[in-house]
This record gives sequence, structure tokens and C-alpha cells, in this order.
Amino acid sequence: MRNTVLLWLALGLVSFCVLPWHMTDRGITDLAWATDDIASTGLFATVAGQWWLAPTGLALVLAFVLQFAVKAPVRRAKLTLATALAGLFWMALQGLIIVRAGPRLFETVLTGEVISAGQAGMGAGAGLCALALLFVATVSLSQSGKGQGDAFVVSTIGLIVALVGIFVFFPVMHILVRAFQVDGGYSLTEFFPRFFSSDIWGLACLFGDRSCGVAINSLFLAVMTGAGTTILGLAFALIFTRTNFRAKRLLRVLTVLPIITPPFVIGLALILLFGRAGTVTEFVADLFGLEQTRWVYGFWGVYFAQLLSFTPIAFLVLIGVVQGVSPSMEEASQTLDADRWQTFRYVSLPLMRPGLANAFLLGFIESLADFGNPLVLGSGYSVLSTEIFFAIVGAVADPAKAAILAIALLTLTLSAFLLQRMWLGKKSYATITGKADSGQNASLNPALKTLCYAIALPWAALTLIVYSMIIFGSFVKLWGYDHSFTFTHYIRAFGIDLSSGRLTGVAWDSYFTTLTISSIAAPLTALVGLSTAYLLVRQKFFGKDAFEFSTMLSFAIPGTVIGVSYIMAFNFPPIELTGTSIILIIVFVFRNMPVGVRGGIAAMSQLDKSLDEASITLGANSFQTVRKVILPLMGPAILAALTYSFVRAITSVSAVIFLVSAKHNMATSFIVGRVENGEFGLAIAYSAVLIITMLAAILLLQLLVGNRRLRRADRVQQSV
Amino acid sequence: MNKIGLISVAALTAATTGAMADELSLVCSAEQDWCDMMVAAFEAEQPDIDVLMVRKSTGETLAQIRAEAGNPKIDVWWGGTGDPHLIAAEEGLTQPSGADTSELLGWARNMADISDGRAIGIYAGALGIAYNTEILADRNIAPPQCWADLEDPRFVGEIQVANPNSSGTAYTELATFVQLFGEDEAMVKLAAIGQNVNSYTKSGSAPSKAAARGETGVSIGFMHDMVTLAAQGFPLAIVAPCEGTGYEVGAVSIIEGARNFDAAQAWVEFALRADVQSRAPEVGAFQVPSNANAQVAPESPDLASIKLIDYDFATYGSSETRERLLARWDAEVGDPNPQ
Amino acid sequence: MTQTQPGSVQFTGVVKKYGDVTALKKLDLMIEPGKLVTLLGPSGCGKTTTLRLIAGLEMATDGTIHIGGQDVTHLTATYRKVSMVFQSYALFPHMTVRENVAYGLTVKAVPKAEAAQRAEAGLELVGLAGYGERLPSELSGGQQQRVAVARAIVLEPEVLLLDEPLSNLDAKLRRHVREEIRQIQQRLGLTAVYVTHDQEEAMAVSDDIIVMNNAEIAQIGTPAALYETPSSSFIADFIGDANLADCDVLEVEDGMAKVVLNGNTYSVPSHRPLSGAARIVLRPHALKLMSPQSAGVQGEVTYAAYLGKEMQYTVETNIGSLFVISPVSGQPFAQGDAVSVAIDQDQARLVSQ
Repeated sequence: MRNTVLLWLALGLVSFCVLPWHMTDRGITDLAWATDDIASTGLFATVAGQWWLAPTGLALVLAFVLQFAVKAPVRRAKLTLATALAGLFWMALQGLIIVRAGPRLFETVLTGEVISAGQAGMGAGAGLCALALLFVATVSLSQSGKGQGDAFVVSTIGLIVALVGIFVFFPVMHILVRAFQVDGGYSLTEFFPRFFSSDIWGLACLFGDRSCGVAINSLFLAVMTGAGTTILGLAFALIFTRTNFRAKRLLRVLTVLPIITPPFVIGLALILLFGRAGTVTEFVADLFGLEQTRWVYGFWGVYFAQLLSFTPIAFLVLIGVVQGVSPSMEEASQTLDADRWQTFRYVSLPLMRPGLANAFLLGFIESLADFGNPLVLGSGYSVLSTEIFFAIVGAVADPAKAAILAIALLTLTLSAFLLQRMWLGKKSYATITGKADSGQNASLNPALKTLCYAIALPWAALTLIVYSMIIFGSFVKLWGYDHSFTFTHYIRAFGIDLSSGRLTGVAWDSYFTTLTISSIAAPLTALVGLSTAYLLVRQKFFGKDAFEFSTMLSFAIPGTVIGVSYIMAFNFPPIELTGTSIILIIVFVFRNMPVGVRGGIAAMSQLDKSLDEASITLGANSFQTVRKVILPLMGPAILAALTYSFVRAITSVSAVIFLVSAKHNMATSFIVGRVENGEFGLAIAYSAVLIITMLAAILLLQLLVGNRRLRRADRVQQSV
Repeated sequence: MNKIGLISVAALTAATTGAMADELSLVCSAEQDWCDMMVAAFEAEQPDIDVLMVRKSTGETLAQIRAEAGNPKIDVWWGGTGDPHLIAAEEGLTQPSGADTSELLGWARNMADISDGRAIGIYAGALGIAYNTEILADRNIAPPQCWADLEDPRFVGEIQVANPNSSGTAYTELATFVQLFGEDEAMVKLAAIGQNVNSYTKSGSAPSKAAARGETGVSIGFMHDMVTLAAQGFPLAIVAPCEGTGYEVGAVSIIEGARNFDAAQAWVEFALRADVQSRAPEVGAFQVPSNANAQVAPESPDLASIKLIDYDFATYGSSETRERLLARWDAEVGDPNPQ
Repeated sequence: MTQTQPGSVQFTGVVKKYGDVTALKKLDLMIEPGKLVTLLGPSGCGKTTTLRLIAGLEMATDGTIHIGGQDVTHLTATYRKVSMVFQSYALFPHMTVRENVAYGLTVKAVPKAEAAQRAEAGLELVGLAGYGERLPSELSGGQQQRVAVARAIVLEPEVLLLDEPLSNLDAKLRRHVREEIRQIQQRLGLTAVYVTHDQEEAMAVSDDIIVMNNAEIAQIGTPAALYETPSSSFIADFIGDANLADCDVLEVEDGMAKVVLNGNTYSVPSHRPLSGAARIVLRPHALKLMSPQSAGVQGEVTYAAYLGKEMQYTVETNIGSLFVISPVSGQPFAQGDAVSVAIDQDQARLVSQ
């Protein structure tokens, strides 16, 4: 263990001495120290007068000396821990105070030459020093206490807490404090009246024709969407597992499509189908002589679009759970003379409770955070996500209002999260015991089966129509008016000059940037998400509940708020990331991490814990256990996490709008720009290409990750 | 642990930062094609300068330069309605470019005067009414000619307009009404039109798009947006209201603390030139150019034939007036929000 | 094969709490090196918790744990020289049998050749030589079980832990495997701690049995001692079948007690001082059915079962329902017969009430 500490200390010292401490014009990752000016290293900068860097170097040296000077292991660990923490604290403090644009802490108290001179953002040297100090601290912590800690586990917890702290809490605080800000200070007396205003929580719509508060609108929509997607998802899951429905494969594709659809596209398609001049509307109006109405604008349209968009998520959660209900429990029920309906009602359904709760929660949160659909279809039905967006970018920018609304939104999410916990309680829903369970799931009784079909098939038909329309729309001149066939949109977006091989299409740049960034972000997201899931499922530690909620936080905050808060936090030293692709990667990793966490938790709960314990009692440490036992057995969960984070990175829009730059423009931002200009054909052609790209990527991932298992199966057959 | 380190280093290497000396970081708030054309033309003239352009709406841009204040990553902001440019100037987020405005038309010089040379007008677009010819013909509704026509019950449920709380376009409309009719009368008229409004949209360009597709019969918005839609083939007719109308002035500003001030200045001078402005119609941008010597496209709404009011940007661009008018709008016109 | 000395296990005042729930109340115990000791008790009695505390999978809330004389209270499982055989076997499904058995050696960076050779030796020991290339899913339950044992013993642990290792096997195989485990343990001189809730299994394999109840130790002793001299009616009932009946102790003299049961006086061996109300333990074999005229407790047969070499009866009497096993000889009694139950005084035992 002392060797681990020494290793990290050595890395820290080397970084301090030979790597450029600050960011240079060539970027954070500039490693060309040897050829360039050596004066940029932490050591030389200190000597050259940047005395505030010295304490970090001293902390590293002191910790190094401690390893040899103190013999008692626990005492040594405690002293090292204190030294490393002091070093980290000082790094953060000097980074936040010595900033050219003015100190970011105690700005009114601190002034002086040093501060106004400022310094650049932290670079490779500073980053690695911080990482080294962090791991020195966590490894020491694992040795200093009662020995509960495994160095790997404590270090992972430390790293994730640090990352979530820096990339979720630190930026989000910047915007949330605005809610409490009054001239030159903070106050609760200003906050409460604004927070509890009837604009947010008003219930007027229940008693008259005035509208309700935005939070109430959002809440109502989210509850309806949560319930609706859960019911639809359950119907699909039941059709998949409990019936002999023929076109299961087609259904499967339909349930994937909405997940990989860029925002706005579903809303647009709905307008073209069900708008006042929509195809379906005109058809029905002609048929029955009805007035063409604008019903699709407002609550019903948004609800409709959200059902289309989020049902697949509920389905993905529920299919695992529905499959997981042990057939023997259903068989037991049937042998007790329960009929199929009673078996379903009293045995299967209650056992699916965690799945239903999770599906509802996800639908609820997705609905609250949804921005594209309410923007396109919401009309007068105001919800929090769009109100927050316009409080930031609208004609009257009001960051305090945005912050207050964001807090209202967080309140709703937090309440839903807590309610879900209470409802599930501490009952056990384990149905997978690790023992093979032969036997057959009860099939559905006829009435229930009909009901499932009646719920699910219209949805499937509608999805099919919507996607046919999208393909159709990308090949016609002017969707809705001029339906002559054309390749123009594709050529404009993805044209290639065959003679020179040059890519002349306008979309190529953002297309490649999007793919690159998503491909980098996806494995990182999966890594962070699954590590977090591992900690939550398999390890016990102090503050676990708070830790779990904090990892959900970034999912529950609207993208707009995240985007602006990222600029506020990371446009200035000590961590200056705006305009880079790193900031895009980071925002994707930490926004999509909760999905990896949830998926990982589900998958890991299915692995019998005795497998880890067997590994540990055989002398493996936690890291070896994860690498040799858990990871190889988590193939499907890794696949799901990778796929989902990849897709989310490609389709997310609201957080990205503020963070894209000329060098790093993203596809969705590009598409939204075209939609704003009314160039629907191009936008839809681009969306269609993205959808196909994502489908291909999903298949490729399945092939890559799935392959190992296949080979395994082959081997089984050969040796039998 | 080492693995995590390696991967993050790999991720870091994938990124680059910072601006080189011969780069120009540009945010463009006009139509994408216009942005592309301008950048290509500029780079052709100034091969030493590498323009990094990204398109963002004015609201997004203003939010971004506010958040970046003190350490901006953007050098110059070109295009987009003038109000946010003026707000940025008022808040000290932009700096004077020192460009020569002598060739410019009065309204463009006026904007530079108000903002101490921080924001300079590059084009103007008048506010107008659009209607879907097919819809109105189907329903036997006589097309509107004046603002006052929109109060007529024949348009009930057929008018779409943006909400001035979120849309700069709609605020321009509100300010225009106030300047045309006086504050009290304007509120009465807007409330009367409100009886016919089917939806107050969040975005200023949404109503005309809806009218183009027949989702609504009539829309209020900027005429150059309507021209673009009509040119695409939608059955949209455009009306310059008989009482007269207000207009927006699109602007260009250099961000305070820009890292590449010289290149930004070169851009501003380039953008104000007559020959450059004359090329806008090539990409379907039918705004009226600010340079008196620039050619006006035949499709452009002829400002000479439109009764333009003498729009008072100084008064109606100020935050104080804005907040007061919006408060009155909320109280007296409001958003009935049908459920 | 083993070079590691078998270790002792010592608990001193060990307490384990999960929140407000006490899983173990202040436990003291000492397991001698080389012994096979069983933790026996009904579910929820704390026996598995005790085993996991030895393994290091749980940490004691209070008290100290020594293994092989070393204080391991704060060491995690990775660093204890203890191996465990799990109830579910916990074989890694993605590794071959050999990879499974060599796992502990591999993670300890034992050279590959040596690890392979030791794994093979381990497989040989459990009679699975040549099965190394198979996957666990291709083995029968009994074979999987033996792989789990081999995987645990190739590490030459100071203590081998077995958590209900036979519960997933059928009855016949169970007897066979438990004998094998016992043989291996004795041959290698391992210290083994064995958890089960099956008293017959416990009696068959153990040097000593620790009977646990309600998060504490009820009695420790050899199988014979527990059966012969139960310290409480719980032990009497749990170890072997027993009929329990209330009785009165009149006096105890020279290790024999005068006991009044159902109006009759019996003379019963007594290992601990008792007086007044007590309970008499009557093993089913120590009861004999006689014709109703004979001396004894009168009753009626309510259930009779023929099991080949013996008969099992349930007899309703006024000291309660009695379970009686008697060898088949002559005409067995039938359901409904009136009988007299004779008590073999020497085989009866007394416990407090």
C-alpha cells in the first residue's frame, strides 16, 4: 500500500517539476515542455515568482518524506492524508482567488497586485498534481481508519465524488445562487415570495379559465407522461414476453427508433400529421365534415409527443423486470387455483413493482426535462423547461427567475425520487436467485392480451407512420406543399465532389465532430456510470444515499441551466474549458451518467453477490474482482450503457447550444439552426442520416460486445 | 486506477483550445446560408485570417457573452435583431469598433450613435403581416390591410403572434403599437387583436412558419422572414400595414475584451461595405441593406413604399421602458392560455 | 499437500449489529486448529453471520477476532488466510473449471505453471482430474460442489469455511459428498467451520457442534454430548427427535433424580441440579409400546407408519402427543389401538423448563 502512495506521489512530483502547470495557448494537453520553455513548469513558475504554487509542491514533498519518516502505519496514513488534503485545498483556493477577471471567492475582501495579475487556467501539470494528491489522500484514508476500506474502493469513491463535485455541483451552484442574490448579497426574504408565487404553483386552472402555474403544468404533464409511458411500456413488455405475437422483431425496432431520434423531429412530424393543416387532420375533416382544429397545440400535443418519445425508455426498463418474474412463482399461484388474471393481478404485477416505479420515475423526469416537444407544440401550455430557457435567452433575460424555476424543477424531481423510495420500501422483490429456473411464464388471459394489443399497437402504427413521414419528408422538395421527389436536401447536407473527393456538404463538419465527441464520451460515461453503480450496489459507505442522489442531479437539471452554468464555471481559470471539445465531452459524461448508473444497478443486482465474495475470500482485491469477475459478466449492461450514452450525446440539444463553438459544432445545434430558418427538408434529411448512423452504431456495438459471449457459447457446444 | 488515468489523458489529447493570432471567432445570428456566404467571401479577401464561425440565435448569444464576460471567447457578433446588441452595449459587453459609418443610412447611423459606436446597423427589416392565401380563400376571409383589420372578428382563432416576454420580434411589435397609437390605445388594440389570437408562441419566427404551413391563417413578424418562406414555395402573402410599421435593425458588434480585435475590426468594415451587402439576396436574405450604395433586391420589401415610423430605439431599447411595457402587456393583454 | 499450519479461530466479545437489529450478541468462542466445527441452528440464529465474520465479509461492530493467533478484526476478506465454499458454489460462469480453481493463485501472482499444477492437484484431490477444461455449466451439481471445494483448498487456507455446502444436492449425494469433505479435511488436517441447519449432517461430520439460537450460542459440545446431555429443551428438541413433557423433580441424589410424571414416579439420570418443575426428554427410541394393560402412560395410536425395519407411531396421551419408533417385531399396532407407553428411565433426560 505504501508503494501505491509512493507511486502517486512520484507522479505528482514529476508533474510538478516537468509539466507545464498552466494551460497554454495550445491547450491544456500541451506536453511539449522539453522543446518549449521550461519556465512553464510548476517548479520554475514558483521560483520565478508565482510563490502561490509552492505549497502544492511542498505538500507532495512532505507526503513523500512522511512515507519514510513515520513508522507506525496508521499514524503515517493519517499524517499523509492531512498533508494531501491540505495540498488539494490550497490548490483549489489559489486557483479560485488568483484569477485575472477577479477572484471568484471573497471578491470584496481580496485585492492586490498578485490577484489582478492573475494566472491562466490549470494545465496538464496542475491536473496530474491534483489527481496524484487525490489518490494519495484516498489510499491513505483507506489505511487510516478501521481498515474497512479497500484502497481501490475508496479511491474510486474519492474520484467520483471529486468529479461530480467539480462537474455537477460547482457549475450548478453558479446559477442556483442567483435565486438568492440581491444587490451585493444573498437573501431568503427575496427568494421565498418569488419561489411560492402563483406564476409557479398557482392552481387557477382548476377553478376557472385562467392558467395554472408553470410548475403545476409541468407536474401534471409529467405525471400523465410517467403513467402513460409506463402503461404503454408494460403493454409492450407483456406482448414480448407473454404472447406469441408474430411481428415482435418489427416492434423491437419501433421501440428503439424514438430513442435515436433528434429532438424536434417528432414534434414536426406530429404537426404535419395532426396540425390544423396536417394530413390526418384534413383526411378526417373531409371524411366527417369536421372543422379542422388546433388541438395538437398545447397540452395534448406535447403529451402525445412525449408518449411517442419516452415509451421506449419505459419499455426497456420493464422488459427486464417482466422477464425477471420467476415462472415458478406464477406456477405456484396457478397451482393454488388462481386463474390467469388473478395470477397476474396478485403475483406478477406486485413483483414488477420496482420496474413500474423506475419506469414511472424515468418517464416523469424525462417529461420534466423535455425541451424540444413543449417548444414546438406547447403553444400556450407553459412548462418549466421552456420557461427556464426563455428566462435565460428570452427578450428579458432574468437569470434569477431561471434559477428559481430550476429550483422548482429540482423540487419536483427530488420529491418524485423520495416518493418512489417510500413506495418501494424495504420489501424484497428479488426473483432471480442464481439457480436456474425452468418452467414457463404464465401466458396472458385473453382479455388482458386484447387490452395490451389495443394499447400498444396503435402506438406502434403511429410510430411507423411518423418515421415513414420523416423518410418521405427528406426526399421531397417542400414537405407539406411540393411533394416532387428530390435528392437536393441530401446533396446539400452530405454532398461529395466526386472529382476531387472533397466533402462539399454543409453538414459534414458537425457530423464528424458529433461522431467523434460521442464516441469519446460514450465509453467514459459507461465507465463513470458503471463504477458508480458498483459502489452503490456492492459497497457500503458513509453518505451513500446522498451520493446516489447527487449522481441523479445532473439528469434532473434542465440542459439550458447546465449549459449556461458550464460557461459560468468553466470560462475562467482555474478550469478553463469553454470553446474546447473537452467541455462537450464532460457535459455529456455527467449528464448521461445517471443512465449508466441506473442500468448498472439493475444489471449488478442480478449478479449473485456470492460471486464477488468468492473472489474476495480467494484473496482477490476489489479491483481484481471487478476486472476478472464483474466486468466479464456485465456484457449486456455495458452494451446498454455504451449505446445509450452514445445516442444521448448525439441527440441532446439544450445543454449543447451554449457550449458549441465554431471548431466543435454539434449536429443537433446545426439542425435546430436550420429549423429556425425554416429549412425543414435539410433538417429532416440530416436527422434521417443521424438515425441511420445510430442504428448502425448500435448494431456494431452489439457485435463487438456480444461477440465474446458468442465464442463462449461455441466452446460450450464443442466440448459437450 | 491507472486505466482511468490513461483514458482521461486520451480524452484530453483529443481537444484543443485557444485562439491563434490569425483567427477570428465569429458568432452569426443571421440565416445560416448568409453566414456561410459572408465567411467565405471574407476569407477569400483576407486569406491570413481564419474565421471560426458558429451560428446561434441572438438570445443564446447574449446569454453566452454575458456568462463569458471578462474572458470572452467570441470576437465579433454579426447579425440578429438590434435590441440584444443594444443591451450588450448598454451592459458594456461590447466595444466601439471605430468603423466609418458615413456611407450608412440614417437608421443604421442612429444605432451607432445610441450605442456609442458599439453596435452598427447592417440591415433593416420591417414588421408586417403575412397570411396564408389558401386558408383565407377557403374560409372566405378578406385579407387584412391594416393593423386595425386584425381586431375584426372575422379573424377569430386565425392570428398567431409571438409572446413579447420571450421574443424580440413580438417586443418590436409591442413597441411599434405604442409608438403608433400611444401607450394606452396600443394596449386596447393589442387586447382586441388578442381576442383573435390562437396562440402566443415563444419564438418570434414561429408564427410565420405556422402561417406558411397553414397551421394558422395570419401571422405577425418580420417581412424578410416571410419573403424567405414565400420564396421556398409556401402560399404566403405579405402585407405592409396601412397605419405604418416599425422595424428592426440588424447589427454587428465587437465583444469587449476580444482577443483578435484587429481581425474583428476588419470584419466590421467588410460587413458594412456596399458590395458585400449587395450580395445578401444571393442566399435568400431579403433584408434592406444599411449601406446607402448597396443594391436592394427586387424581392425585398421596399422600405420606400412602406410607411415606416420613426422608431425610437433609445427609448424602447432601454430596460426600464421594456420592463414597464411588458408588465402592462402581461396585465392588459396577457396570455389567456386556453387549456 | 498443505504447508500452512491450520489456524485457530477465536472470538472475544464479538457483537454484530445491522442498524438496530442485533445479529450477534456478545459472542465468545474458540475453535481449535485442525478441528471441523459446525455452526448449527435454525435460520436467522446468527450462524451465517458468524461465518461471514470469520471470512471478513462482515466487520464486527464490537469485540476482536483472532485467526491463527493473529488479530484480524480489521482485515478485509482479501487479506485473511481463509477460504470459503458458498452455498450457491459461486463458480465463475465465464471461467473454465481449471481457471476457477486457479483463480486464487492467479490473483496472488503465483507463477502460471505452478498455479496450473496446483489447480490440477486440487482437482485430483476432489476426484475431478481431467475436468479442467470444462465450464461449470457442464458439470453436475455434485461436481460443481467439488470444484468449489477444490478452489477453496488449493489456497491452503488457515481456516476453510463452508456455508451450507450440501443444501443444493439431493439426499443421496449429500451423504456421499459430506463424507468426502470430512475425509479431505482430516487428511489435510484443516481447520474447518461448517454452517448447516441440518442436525443429522452436523452430527455426521463434526468434531464439535456449536448450536446457535437467537443470535447467541445455545450449547457447544461433541455430537454425542449434545445428544446425551442437552442443556435445554431447545437443544434436546433440535438435536435428534425428542418428546418433551412437563414433570416435577422431587429430589436429586447421586446423579439420579426422582421425577413425577403423570402420577408415576421415575428415576432419571440428572447431569445438573434441578428441582421442582422441569421437563423430561424422551427420545423416540426410548419409548416402547405395550398392550394397554401394562404399566406406563396410557394412550391411543393416532398414526402408524411402516418403514421396513422400524415402525413410527404417534400416540395421543395425557402427557401430550408422543412420537415413538420401535423395531418391527410381530404384529405392529394399528391406528386406533389403545396402548400403554413404557418409558426407559435410563435413557430419559431432564432439562429445565
